[in-house]
Amino acid sequence: MELKLISTTDIAAFFDGLLKAGKVVVAPVLKQSGKVFFKPVQSFAEVATEYIQTTFSAKEVVFPKVEELFTYKHNEEGGLDFNDYLDRIPETVIWGLRPCDAAGFDYLNVFFLQEHPDAYFKARYDKTTLVTMSCSTCDESCFCTSVDSHPGDTKGSDVLLTAMDGKYYVEVMTEKGSSLINNNLELFTSTETLSKERFLAKPATRFSMEEIKDRIQNAYDSVEWKQASMGCYSCGACAFACPTCTCFDIQDEGTQDHGKRVRCWDACALSQFTKHASGHNPRKTQTERRRQRLMHKFKYSVENLGIVSCVGCGRCIRVCPSHLNIFENILSVTK
Amino acid sequence: MDTNQYIPYQVRIADIIDEAPLVRTYKLEFTDPSANFTFKAGQFAEYGVFGEGESTFCIASSPTREGYIECTFRSSGRVTKALANCEINDIIGLRGPFGRPFPIEEWYGKDIVFITGGIGLPPLRCVIWNVLDQRSTFGKVSIYYGARTVADLVYKEELDEWKRRDDVNLFLTVDPGGETKDWKDNVGFVPTIIEQNLPSSKNAIAIVAGPPILIKMSMPILAKCGFANDKIFTTLENRMKCGVGKCGHCTVGKTYVCKDGPVFTYEEVLLMPQEY
Amino acid sequence: MKELQNKAAELLENGTINLLIGFCEDGSKRAVPCFIETAAEANTLVFNQDCKNNLSVYLHKKEVKDAVKIGLVANVATLRSVLQLLSENQLWSLTLTYLTVNGAGELVVLSSAEELEGYVQANFPTCRPEDQEMLDKLNAMSREERWAFWKDQLSECVKCYACRAVCPMCYCTVCTTECNQPQWIKTSAETSGNFEYHTMRAMHLAGRCINCGECGRICPAGIPVHLLTAQMNQEIEQEFGGKTGWSLKGGYALNSFKPGDKENFIK
Repeated sequence: MELKLISTTDIAAFFDGLLKAGKVVVAPVLKQSGKVFFKPVQSFAEVATEYIQTTFSAKEVVFPKVEELFTYKHNEEGGLDFNDYLDRIPETVIWGLRPCDAAGFDYLNVFFLQEHPDAYFKARYDKTTLVTMSCSTCDESCFCTSVDSHPGDTKGSDVLLTAMDGKYYVEVMTEKGSSLINNNLELFTSTETLSKERFLAKPATRFSMEEIKDRIQNAYDSVEWKQASMGCYSCGACAFACPTCTCFDIQDEGTQDHGKRVRCWDACALSQFTKHASGHNPRKTQTERRRQRLMHKFKYSVENLGIVSCVGCGRCIRVCPSHLNIFENILSVTK
Repeated sequence: MDTNQYIPYQVRIADIIDEAPLVRTYKLEFTDPSANFTFKAGQFAEYGVFGEGESTFCIASSPTREGYIECTFRSSGRVTKALANCEINDIIGLRGPFGRPFPIEEWYGKDIVFITGGIGLPPLRCVIWNVLDQRSTFGKVSIYYGARTVADLVYKEELDEWKRRDDVNLFLTVDPGGETKDWKDNVGFVPTIIEQNLPSSKNAIAIVAGPPILIKMSMPILAKCGFANDKIFTTLENRMKCGVGKCGHCTVGKTYVCKDGPVFTYEEVLLMPQEY
Repeated sequence: MKELQNKAAELLENGTINLLIGFCEDGSKRAVPCFIETAAEANTLVFNQDCKNNLSVYLHKKEVKDAVKIGLVANVATLRSVLQLLSENQLWSLTLTYLTVNGAGELVVLSSAEELEGYVQANFPTCRPEDQEMLDKLNAMSREERWAFWKDQLSECVKCYACRAVCPMCYCTVCTTECNQPQWIKTSAETSGNFEYHTMRAMHLAGRCINCGECGRICPAGIPVHLLTAQMNQEIEQEFGGKTGWSLKGGYALNSFKPGDKENFIK
């Protein structure tokens, strides 16, 4: 790890230098609706500043909402030609992630690359560098400190910037991060370890994963699941906003002669998610679906992969039309 | 194929057999001679009609027979209907083999009891032929199979062959009312026929697959015969898309039916949330 | 507020209702939908300007329908959507009691469909000024400008179907989007498929939508989808007369024929 400093006046030059170097830079942008989304930008001036969290996560960069797996076309020999575009991914920087988002990428990395490594995720992730900003503010939907993280966490980041009195404290965590800094190394000075504490937000800690890991063992049979899911409208907003939700559908678009096979985001809350062609639906009610979602985040991911798949970003709470609260639900079913 | 799990093999339909109303078997050959496709009994594949999508079925032929694979399916949804419209020499896509197979090597020397009904036979047929092709390696082979009507029985020619073999005990039946005038075998639900011909659990394993009601009725009988839950195997079906444990559709609790299964012992099934 | 809470408690206590759907405050002081089955919980109820969700959509939910006798805390837009649902014969298995607060801040309790109709007609909501402003702006655009506007907006859609999920009029048990024989609408969220979905939905809602505006308000991508159906409704009203959510007798403009119907759109 390298420790550097860069002044707030030089950060724009560093940012614009990345664009000049031909990288695609994705950063938070304020839209007319008042919401902030991660979008490719052309200059530092476009980057949003006064906001707590973006509406959707940045997972779209490595796991697009619609991703072409391959195109197919019948050839003259009677067979088919397939083409994928894995060799055409541009070098990308995601700027302005929060530590919770970077922890989300850490989870995605583990999930997609274990057992049957996902070639599409890998191709995109290898070309992506994550530049994270520590959080100086938070709201009541944030709960990163309850899920093994905190507002100055370096987990998953290539570079973590912490704003401190006219400068940024720069923690360069990986080789990708080093290589990024080297793009304009003259803007940085070295430093010793500094304390980030007083510059970081203090989100309320709702529980600890230590407590939850035990109590959730019996949560499946809790009678609280019904209340926890009553307000659920059965849409996909929470799953699509979430940095760690990875469920997808595979669809063919085209004719039998030529077309493409795509994968697109899917959500376990949607009523048809588990429905068989016969009509049998193993998770028929919203109670069962919400239970599966929460148990997956807080128990099954821990058992299967060793990490909790909720990062405490609070997006699901903010984006839900009835503001269903994931940490309140977890507390009530593990009572 | 080990770099990209989503690009399919291309397979040619070499033969089509109409097994029962809406049920067909396709014999498939790989168009790429270097494909080197190998699999174990119990694994499944994703069969795709380009432009329509993919559907999941077990590989119904035995891995002891090289050069081709077979699948048997019922035409019910969009993809299976499109598959049923295919003709000999059409090319379809195939991804696989996926899943945890039956642990056949652990069954050498044991008696094998197969219990299934209707379209539950295809997932077990791969094991049956795997066992029969290595007959002397296994003990007694008993097959309990039935369908709603005579017409619904699949692999009719093979059923005749198994009936004629003296190293296979085949208990064949159709549901009451499903028999034809010249039906000579049992009439009654499969669990009833098992009751009338109880299998011994001594040095034996049982494989049960098929309609949920059949599984539910057969388990108490097997328990009565002394089969422990870890000696009873089944293969689960769930909605699948990717086949490799990523898309999330087939999850039952923390288990991914596609990669942790589809073969499970009954002991493992009882530990899962009953949402499948 | 106290009056509302007391009334709710009373209705639950005396068995007039088995379940009350209303609003309460969550840990962050947001007004969120809540589902109350005992009188003791009634003191958590709130009702203010922040209570925007159209709670009538929950009347389609199995867990709610099982209660049969249901109380609904509603603003007038929500009451209007219940009236529309009653006219579409969707709530026949339920016995409903409505609790609302009128312009003078008084609690009003409506216990029958007729009382509901009377109240809604006496307090019929008009198009919100900010929505009318947006509609006027869009209608003043050229066709190309309008197309560009919606193309830009709908490229942001992620097909979460939150708009469909919060809409009381979208109660089909299997939506057109979920049909794959044939695949009427692509599932993937790219612009042309998003257009297909939103225009299809606007067509299915034309003459039925009661303009609560929830679909646009809750859209995570910030797309003002409620303007599509608001525009459709204004066109339907112009061509065929009648207002949605006005009367128990209702009548769906696009599937009823009157000899006097104008046909000047046929060219």
